[in-house]
Amino acid sequence: MKKLILLFLLAFGGAAFAQPGHPTYDVSAARKACTDAMNSDPIFAKDIIATVDKQIDQKTIDAHMDANKHIQKNEKHVIYSYAAMWIIAALFVAFLWMRQQALKGEIAQLRKDLDAAAKGGA
Amino acid sequence: MKKLAVPLLCVLAAVGFALSLHLVFEVAPLQWGKTGDGRLNGSSLFFNQKIFYWHVAHAFWLFGAVFVAGVSSIAFLITRKSTWDDIASASVDVAVAFGAVVLITGSAWAKAAWDVWWNWEPRLTMSLLLWLILVGYVLVRKFAGPSADRVAAGMAIFGMVGVPFIYTMVGQDSHPASGSGGVVATLGPGMRGAFWLSVFSFLLWFIALTITRIQSTRCERELRELRERGLDLGVLQ
Repeated sequence: MKKLILLFLLAFGGAAFAQPGHPTYDVSAARKACTDAMNSDPIFAKDIIATVDKQIDQKTIDAHMDANKHIQKNEKHVIYSYAAMWIIAALFVAFLWMRQQALKGEIAQLRKDLDAAAKGGA
Repeated sequence: MKKLAVPLLCVLAAVGFALSLHLVFEVAPLQWGKTGDGRLNGSSLFFNQKIFYWHVAHAFWLFGAVFVAGVSSIAFLITRKSTWDDIASASVDVAVAFGAVVLITGSAWAKAAWDVWWNWEPRLTMSLLLWLILVGYVLVRKFAGPSADRVAAGMAIFGMVGVPFIYTMVGQDSHPASGSGGVVATLGPGMRGAFWLSVFSFLLWFIALTITRIQSTRCERELRELRERGLDLGVLQ
């Protein structure tokens, strides 16, 4: 019984939240109505043109602001430089370390040679 | 104390560098080039100007290293003391690394400022030539045989003589000027601290690397001399 009530509530709730369909407009008819209204009323036409101009201006300003921000915050070359600096530093430290290892190897070899010479002498 | 010198220098350099990064990215303002009437001109680099803090700092110590190598080479040619040769050799090795950083960061700067990675202006060409002389020095030391130290000393002196030309050439072309009227002298208050801290940190780093390389070069030479003596005395075969 509980299951039936729950199912009923869900079905009823779903129907209640369902959106009504959007009304369909005839675009060409709306355009014609707007054009006629603008032709018959110069003040209305001026308002429409001013609104459109304002939107275009805002888009231009936004594009310029975006370009400005992009140029100011262009980090690409800074990242290249920073990476290059640390790669070279790391390579140099690696070079030092390798020389150090080679030196240790040479010392070990010299020690071995000296031991061999000492044994030969004895 | 001697053993602690290099680690201490490295730690100080790291702390200084971390602080300088904070100043470079958080405190120093973006760079705007303006005309007399306050409008932006074509020299504005904005964020990319931050390359300057590393590029110029490395250039300073590249010149410093070449100068040390040149003076040590003169001292070596006069006295024939191998200590001077060790210092010159170590300085040139570090100068090659610092020179590579200068050339690459300069190239990135050129791309950001003038939209070219490289152009054959006198100053850029001279900087590249200096770097090639340093690389030549390293190759001579490695492959030129018994007289390598004296030939290399001559090259180091030749490189040192080139440095003032590069320094005075800066500002003669599209590169920002140096000297009393140059970029460093006219840095804004927010940029000045970041720049000098960066220069100081890289000085410590430069000294740490040079000392390490001097120690390593000295060890290599002493080992070579011991082996030669062993061979001469017939102890070694």
